[in-house]
Amino acid sequence: MSMFDYDARPVTAQVVLVGAPSSRAAYEIRDFLARNGRAFEWVDAGQPDAVQATLGSAHVPASSLPVCLLPDGSQIASATVQTVAAGLGMLAPPSRSDYDLVIIGAGPAGLGAAVNAASEGLSTIMIESVAPGGQAGTTSMIENYLGFPTGISGSELATRAAVQARRFGAELLLARPLADVHGDGDGPGYIATLSDGARVRGRTLLFASGVEWRRLEVADIDELLGAGVYYGAGPSEALACTDSQVVVVGGGNSAGQAVARFSRYAEQVTLLVRGTSLTGSMSQYLIDRLGELPNVEIRLRSRITGFDGGDRLRAVTVSSALDGRPESVPADALFICIGGTPRTDAAAGIGLAMNHAGYLVTGRDSADGPGRNWALAREPMPLETNFPGIFAAGDVRYGSVKRCAAAIGEGSMAVALAHRRLAELDDE
Amino acid sequence: MSEPRAATSRKVAVQPDFAALASDDRIATAAKSLEANGIRSVIAGSGAEAREIVGGLLPEGAEVFNNTSRTLEAIGVADDIEQSGRYQPLRPRLWRMDRKMQDREIRTLAAAPDYVVGSVHALTEGGSMLIASASGSQLGPLVSGAAHVILVIGGQKIVTDEAAGIRRIYEYCYPLEDARARQAYGVPSGVNNILVINKVIWPGRVTAIIVKERLGF
Repeated sequence: MSMFDYDARPVTAQVVLVGAPSSRAAYEIRDFLARNGRAFEWVDAGQPDAVQATLGSAHVPASSLPVCLLPDGSQIASATVQTVAAGLGMLAPPSRSDYDLVIIGAGPAGLGAAVNAASEGLSTIMIESVAPGGQAGTTSMIENYLGFPTGISGSELATRAAVQARRFGAELLLARPLADVHGDGDGPGYIATLSDGARVRGRTLLFASGVEWRRLEVADIDELLGAGVYYGAGPSEALACTDSQVVVVGGGNSAGQAVARFSRYAEQVTLLVRGTSLTGSMSQYLIDRLGELPNVEIRLRSRITGFDGGDRLRAVTVSSALDGRPESVPADALFICIGGTPRTDAAAGIGLAMNHAGYLVTGRDSADGPGRNWALAREPMPLETNFPGIFAAGDVRYGSVKRCAAAIGEGSMAVALAHRRLAELDDE
Repeated sequence: MSEPRAATSRKVAVQPDFAALASDDRIATAAKSLEANGIRSVIAGSGAEAREIVGGLLPEGAEVFNNTSRTLEAIGVADDIEQSGRYQPLRPRLWRMDRKMQDREIRTLAAAPDYVVGSVHALTEGGSMLIASASGSQLGPLVSGAAHVILVIGGQKIVTDEAAGIRRIYEYCYPLEDARARQAYGVPSGVNNILVINKVIWPGRVTAIIVKERLGF
């Protein structure tokens, strides 16, 4: 019992999730709720007393798990992110069919654009597949963001930005990824179709869809996803890592932030880095911070080559480039923070220009080269793709700086350019 | 130096006299006194009416901290704040934060909400309000941290003067709160801090809604 438990605990019923610790579906729901700022209680289905107290019956068929108990008392069996989001009323439809600006992604770039666009009077909507904040939203503490001398967590920054955007009138559609983008046959502008079939038309469109964590190419990894193996920093899992052995893979700031977070809870955290140094990929303050943590070990030139576990992760096999010998490292949880792969699947259909790795090409680069379809007499603007009025900002853009502040800056810059495009359309 | 009075668990019988609903005249007197002390006062005929009044005072989208309060739970205001989606409730937001990494954010947010909604333990006929707290964390926002304060007060909480208010806290509220804390949190409560608000110098900052019903304790 701490002051926190006494003073900050919600006084009304919250979401309760009952599931098996090794359940991938349960992890996805925990991750979704945590990243969307929803307080919830996790009940291990293997604890009969806790299950009895929650559901009124100690035995729940495995086929019904995970079970989600909503604040209104209703239960969702075999719950998924979609059914939980729907049950919590988080799947509001768009309020209109046409917008000045449709933003794909609500990470730092998307939120930066939304705040600026909505505050300047543009009708604005964001389409987000999971939760506001993107990769930065899972960052435990950003200490070099301007104006926050003692740091701010990524989730708090995202929460504030989402509130700010909504306050100016921007809409945010959650838990539904973009399925397709195509031109509007009736005029300039683009139609964005969501995974649930909802459609919105934007006179301009901004891709701020960010990057996904790059998949680790190790045999049988998919069997352990959500059961000890997680992509990203797993903010919902910090408490579960208390006194445990944690392994983090990656050499960037996201990996460093994850290590800093889990070191507060875990007995031991091992950071595996493929390269020969962290300098160049991680901010110096984070390198310094990790060096001060007594329960953190950094292994350079190391990679995972196998897993030990049944229904749940027990250890990882680590091979070092220094001696080449595999070593088993105990691991209750593995967090993979290597990234990323640009989220541009939905952009491929319309023919947006990308580089060989799938990043969206913008500015002068976008009009060059074969098959890039630039249709106007003027050159593309700096963040404009090869389609007039479709912009890209943040991590998804080729050549972008992979930093939160840079993404926010690009998002706001994209709005200034969208204004120019809208003026162009008004003059036609 | 003597021990502080009842900072920890004591075996105290609940004094039932403090549960009696005040007359309309006493309620009117207390309301008038509050106004004289710079506290906006409203009299509600029922808990339901008080709930509507609170809803009218909280702007859509406001950042709101609801203090732990049986009164707010009983009349549905706690549900309105935490569950309706009309506001930004701070409790669920604080609850999901990483307690070790976000300690400063938690303290900052809890200390200075836009709106705090709560109750008091005693209201004197002279327009003073007494609030006791085990941790004390709710008292700072009431005094100055929150931009706006809304207090819902059951009509049984009116007492003659400050001395009677102190007695009400020790002899009536404390045993009931102690039992509640043991059941809800598994720990005892304690009269560790007492706030007395005699006067508010910022007009309109604090609104007290006195309800002609027994609410909370």
